[in-house]
This record gives sequence, structure tokens and C-alpha cells, in this order.
Amino acid sequence: MADLKPILLVEDNPNDIELTLAALEKSQLANEIAICRDGAEALDYLYRRGDHAGRDAREPAVVLLDLKLPKVDGLEVLAAVKGDPGMRSVPIVMLTSSREESDLVRSYQLGVNAFVVKPVGFKEFFEAIQDLGVFWAVLNEPPPHRGGWPSNA
Amino acid sequence: MNSAARPLDAAQLTACDREPIHLLGTLQPHGFLLAVQEPDLRIVQASANVPDRPGQPGGEVVGRLLSAAFPELAEAVAGGTGPDRGAEGARYLRTVGLETASGSRLYDLAVHRSGPLTVVELEEATAEAGGELSLDALSPRLNAFVEGLHRAATVADLCGQLAAEVRRLTGFDRALVYRFDRDWHGTVVAEDGNGVLPSYLDLRFPASDIPAQARELYRRNRLRIIPDAGYVPVPIVPAVPPSTGAPLDLSQSILRSVSPVHVEYMRNMGTMASMSVSILVDGGLWGLISCHNKAPRRVPLQARNACDLLTRVFALQLASKERSAEAEERLRLGAVGGRLLGYMTEADSFSAGLFGHSEDLLALAGADGAAVVVGDQYRLIGLTPGKGEIQRLRDWLAGRGGDEDVFATDSLGEIYPPAGDFADVASGLLAISVSQTSPNSVLWFRPEVVQTVKWGGDPTKAATQDPAGGPARLHPRKSFETWKETLRGRALPWTVPQIDAAKDLRAAILGIVLRRAEELAALSEELQRSNKELEAFSYSVSHDLRAPFRHIVGYSELLRSREGDRLSDKGRHYVDTIIEAAFSAGTLVDNLLTFSQMGRNALKRVFGDMNLLVEEVRRKVMRDVPAGRPIRWQVGSLGRVYADPVMLRLVVENLLSNAVKYTRGQPDTVIEVGRAPDHKGEAVFYVRDNGIGFDMAYVGKLFGVFQRLHRVEEFEGTGIGLANVRRIVERHGGRVWAEGVLGQGATFHFTLPERMEAR
Repeated sequence: MADLKPILLVEDNPNDIELTLAALEKSQLANEIAICRDGAEALDYLYRRGDHAGRDAREPAVVLLDLKLPKVDGLEVLAAVKGDPGMRSVPIVMLTSSREESDLVRSYQLGVNAFVVKPVGFKEFFEAIQDLGVFWAVLNEPPPHRGGWPSNA
Repeated sequence: MNSAARPLDAAQLTACDREPIHLLGTLQPHGFLLAVQEPDLRIVQASANVPDRPGQPGGEVVGRLLSAAFPELAEAVAGGTGPDRGAEGARYLRTVGLETASGSRLYDLAVHRSGPLTVVELEEATAEAGGELSLDALSPRLNAFVEGLHRAATVADLCGQLAAEVRRLTGFDRALVYRFDRDWHGTVVAEDGNGVLPSYLDLRFPASDIPAQARELYRRNRLRIIPDAGYVPVPIVPAVPPSTGAPLDLSQSILRSVSPVHVEYMRNMGTMASMSVSILVDGGLWGLISCHNKAPRRVPLQARNACDLLTRVFALQLASKERSAEAEERLRLGAVGGRLLGYMTEADSFSAGLFGHSEDLLALAGADGAAVVVGDQYRLIGLTPGKGEIQRLRDWLAGRGGDEDVFATDSLGEIYPPAGDFADVASGLLAISVSQTSPNSVLWFRPEVVQTVKWGGDPTKAATQDPAGGPARLHPRKSFETWKETLRGRALPWTVPQIDAAKDLRAAILGIVLRRAEELAALSEELQRSNKELEAFSYSVSHDLRAPFRHIVGYSELLRSREGDRLSDKGRHYVDTIIEAAFSAGTLVDNLLTFSQMGRNALKRVFGDMNLLVEEVRRKVMRDVPAGRPIRWQVGSLGRVYADPVMLRLVVENLLSNAVKYTRGQPDTVIEVGRAPDHKGEAVFYVRDNGIGFDMAYVGKLFGVFQRLHRVEEFEGTGIGLANVRRIVERHGGRVWAEGVLGQGATFHFTLPERMEAR
């Protein structure tokens, strides 16, 4: 399984890191999981700079990106990645507590691949994380449908 | 302002008004006239009564030079002529003696300009003329008169003194001071007499007695005299001189013949001599002094000059009295207006400020009633018509158009007949409109004042057609018997200062309304700012409050699944309870955020098919229903609506999931979704179930935030779902309501405005 791409988790809250790791662990994904604690570090990782200059050359299978981060926030990271033609293909999933509409709309405008509001229920959270891990390791899908009238309206 | 109170027959007025008095071309015979032309003062017209002089028959003066025909006059006339002279009317130059065929005679010489000609008039001097009427002799009396005027307290006093003094100077049987009202009817306001002629005091004379062109002559030529109404008019020859090609304009002539109608009028009044002096105040004709004598009577020039002087002094005094009375009133009303402005500034709205100080509002216009109208709100003060009557009156006022700031009438019924029904409270109306765009206004009312007017003869018979059938001639009435008339539907007139005070109030209200609008704009900015803050607050709550709940749930879950074996049953129960509590707290935060978003987010309305939406939501709701539970759905035809789909989805979701939730114990569940017939531009939808229903006593609590009608063990929920429903529907401009019977089911209705009504 050495050819599996890593999964990058960008999260500042240690509780969320632990819970997310527990969920990914339970899904029995063999991918290596890299963790960055803020947006600046995440960009260093992605561009192989600073502490991450010597990291594994493969791009992550998916970036699980928290919205609210110290230094450089999630939307800024997203904008940087999706604004760079060489980096644009890296799938990014916004993983966030926020239910603010504007974040969601802004994320899709920036080209996010998925936007997941962390459910309060642990079961739901586990399922969401597992789905994300498995799904993004295999194939891409268009962003989920933002509410609108059913298609033939 | 309102027009004539007494409709006079238009044909009569027109006939009388068109008589060209100043072009009659004849003179009274107590003097003669010469019209001379520049530059050499050649006589081009003369009256037919020029006296014969030695060697010069009177009839042969036309064509001669004035200096040749009347060398005695030449120097005086030459000094008093010229195109720039005589604009103010005839000027007396001096008394001259002329040699005539019948001896030496004295004449008072007057000169004035008439078009291209200089008119020289020679009035025979009266025998009385002499020392007693010289300016020196008159001076003490004039002084005494002026002193008396200063002391006069009222306008009536002033007029009384004038009448007495004029009669004393002229020796007429009766002197009247006659004042015009706004319709040009005249009222005798003061009288002095010796009893030979009847008293006319307080009598009113119709406007047609002194027609418009006569009034204009009175304004231009202040003093007129008719020594003998039985005179035979003297023609002027030639009537039209070849050098000017026009009849002589006698407007300023002192000898001018008067209208035959007027002479007849005098005869009908039983007077043979008359004199009238115009009273001009600020250039306008205020009234007349009208003197009469039963027998023919000449008044010497000096006496006439003295009367003219008295009258002008009187007019000045009158103007200053009226002006100072007006100034006092303005000051008083200004103070009232200032107070009202203060009240309006302090009050929440201008109308509240006015209404709260009704005494001042009434005092401002001297009204007995007032109405302050803002939109559909009518605040009535004192004596007013009913609300419906005011509403129609206001509509009529608005429909009149016109851009005047203020509307005033003292006889509303004459221009707005429905006002006849409430003449007793509102014969007078003063109204200001506060805005062009909205119908806000302030109206003041005055009650009817029934007036009895004594006319000098029946005013409807002011003039009659010639009984002999002459088409163009008019004959004045024969009888001057007092004729009483009762005037109804009239209020005391609004004074100019009162009307101006209303105008000022209007300006003040507009200023206040404008300032309020600015304050509102500032407030709305402030609101927007605090709304932004609230948004930021919600945002941080959504992150920072929600996360700990997730963590509690997550770690408790891990504890249960990974360390559960090492816990006792009690320990596992504790963990379950922690999970449940944290989960519900987290859900509560979610719901609260949704609720606040509903109020903040902009509506993005589009047309959509309601049946498709309901079907989509129905399927979603059914996913949470246990497989074994049968639910019978009856969904009618719902049509299309114009709404924000995201928000409307929440409404439907809440209603359908509630219906499913509260029918849980019902073995045979029926849920009906339908559309009732449209009502007043609204689409009406309902969701009906046959579940546990609710007690209508609590219907008021149903749509409140955190209001629950059941214990948590019975039915889960945070009590925010229906609050969301109401908020969303109301933001769309619709309504929600519910009906229920405990144990039998509930029906929830909501409406959405049709597109036209939607804003």
C-alpha cells in the first residue's frame, strides 16, 4: 500500500484532530495522514516549503480543511490552491463547524470540492469522515446540490 | 379665497360695466373746457358753453391760439402743461377773472393732461368762496381733526370723525363713509347728517351700484362733484378733432358729465347734489366718502381741497391702524406657532405634538375645531364634521389640484355643496397639505355665523331693464327701502395673519418631517451596523459554541465504544445521558442559528412547482419513518408559487415532519397537503394530520420560539420549528395559523402572496 497518497488534515483544534483520526482509523484506510495545525503550515506542506520541504513528493489524495484556522484561514488556503493551475487538481473538502451560508457560497465560488458541516452526532460525524476518506481516495464527484427548486421546476 | 357671495345677474352687470363713462363727451354746465395742443397751445376742442367775450363769440374759439383767445390764461397754462405734467389728475392753478359779454367773472382754473392734449377747465367760482375757507382759516380745524384721528380707538371712530368733518366743511345734508367688502358690495360704516335725508347707516349697497369702470375712475380721480343732478349736459365740439382723431378722454376732468344711470340713481334717492371722495389705502380703493344734498349745491374749491386733504390724512391713519392691528395679531400668532413648533419637536410625531396641544392649534387659526390627518389616522379636536365627512372633504381638496400651500374659505358650502350638511360646524375651512406625496394635512373649521344684512333696497333689483324697452340702457332701482337678508353658510372670514400662520405651520411641519426622515436614515444605518454585529456574533457562536458539544458527544461516544466494557451498567447509562444532552444542546444551537439566518438572509424569490417541492421533502421525511409504519399521503394540486426555494423547503419540511411526528401513535395515519382557493391575492396552503392535535387554548403559543406543548419524553424537538415556519412565511408577506382538536388532529395553514402583491 505504499503507493497510497496521503490525506492532509488541516485542523487547529486537538479534540477535532483526535476525533477525526479516530473516525479515519475506524474506516481502516491505509493512507498516511499528515496533520497541519494552521493555514500557513498547510501551504508550506502543499508547496513543500519550510519544515515540509523534504516531504513525500506525492500530492495528497484529499485535503480536509478546517475553515477557521490561525494565521492563514481555510478560505485563504482554498483560494491559494484553487488559484494555482499546478495545484488546482488537489481535492479540497471544507470540514467545518460553520453553518454560515456565506462561507458555503464563498467556498464553492473558490472551487471547493465538497463542504461538510461537522455533524453534532458522533455517528454521523464518523460516517461523514469515513465516506470522505474512502470517496476522495477513489474518484471525484461534482459539489453537492445547494438547495434550489427540483430540477424540472 | 371664495368669490362673490351674492350672485348678481351677469347680464345686468355687463350692461352697466360696459358704459364708457369717461368717453361720454359732455360736461356739467358749471364751467367750461378748452383742449389745447402743443407746441403753440392752439385750441382744438371746446365745450359748447364757452362764454362770449367782447369781440369774440364763445362758439368761435376753436382753431385760435389760447394766447389770442384767452390772454389772461396763457401764462398760467403754459407753466402748467407739458407731457410730464398732469399725470396725477387735474391741478388747480389759480382763480382768474375773465371779462365776458355779461361782465367780469371769477373762475377756478384747473389743468390736466389727456393724451396728446392739455385740458384747461374753468369752473365758475362760488359766491361763498372767500376768507373763511382760506388755508389759514382752515388750519386750526384740520389740526383738530388730525388730533382727533390720533385719539380714535377704532376704525369706526375714525370714520365717524371723517364723516362729521367733511359735512361741516361742505355743508351737505348728509355725509356717508362707505366701505367696500371683498365682493365690492358697499356698507355705510359711518354717517353724519342734519335729518333732511334718510339715514343709510349700516345699509349695504350691491356692487352693481358702483360698477367696475366707475370704481377704476374713483381710484384715478379722487374727488367728483355733481352740483345739480338736473343739469343739461354740455357737448364738446368738435367731438373728434382732426388732429388727434379720437374723442377726448375725460377721466381726470372735474367738469366731466356723469353717467345718465347715475343721475337717475341720484334722483331716485331724492338727492340733487352729491360729492364723493375716494379713500385709497395702499393704492387700492378702500371706500368712499359720499355726500348728498336734497337741493342742488355748489361746493367751493377750497372746501373740496380741504376734504381731499382730510381724506388722505384719514387714509394714512387708517392704514397705520389696520397695519398695527395686523402686526399685533401676527406677533400673537407667531408666539402660538413657536410653541407648537416646540411641541412638535419634542413629540414622537408632528401630529402627536399638535394633538397634544389642541388649544394652541385652535388659537393659531382662531378656529373652533381642527383635524390632524396622517394617513388613515384622524385626530379631531373641538367642533368638527364627522370622520367620514372630513375624509370626503379631504378627497375633494386633493382632487381640486392647485399647488397652493393653503386653502381658505369662509363659505365652504358654496364651493363644496356637501358641506351644507355640516355648515353649523364647518362653514369656514382653512387647510394645509403637509406633503405632496402623502395626504397628510391639518384642517381648521369655523362654525356658521348667521348674519342679517340690511340692504339699501332689494339687491336683486339693483338695476332694471328700461321699461320702455330700450335694449342697452339700465335704470337703477326706484326704492331704497331697507331690505333685510339673512346670510347662511358663512363663517367669520380668516384673516391674512391667520392664513399666514397656517402657512408657517406647514413649513414648520415639513421641516420637522424632513428632519425625522434624516434621523430615520441615521437610525437605519445604526441598525444595519448592529445587524452586522449580530451576524458576526452568530458566526462565532456557530463555531465556538457548537464545537464543544460536538466534542462532548464525540468523546462520550468513544468512551462508550472503546471503554464500554469496563463500565458498569450505571456508568453506561451516565454516558448515554451525556451524549443525549450534549447532542440536544448541539441541535439547539443549530436550530437557533437557522432561525436567526431566516431573519437575516435576503429572500431570493423565483417561480417554482409546489408539488415537486412537497414530493421531494416528503421522500426525505419518509426516510426517518420506520419501515413498518404506514402513512397515507393525500397531496392535492398545489400549483406554482413565487418564493425563496431554500426557505420554503424549510417550511414544508417542518410542517411535514411535524405531521409525521405527531401522528406517531396513530395506527391509521393520514396526512393531507392541499391548496385552498386563493383569497385576496394570496395562495393558501394547508397540511392536515389526524394525530394528537392540540388544545386551541394554546394556539397562541404554537408559533413562538422555544414554545412546546409536549414533554420531551413524548415528542422530541427544540420548539423552534414552527417559529421558523412563521418567520419565513411572514418574510414572504404571508400569514400562518393553525387549528387543532386534542386527540383528533391539527391543520396548519400558510399563505404566500401572489406575485403582484409580493414585494
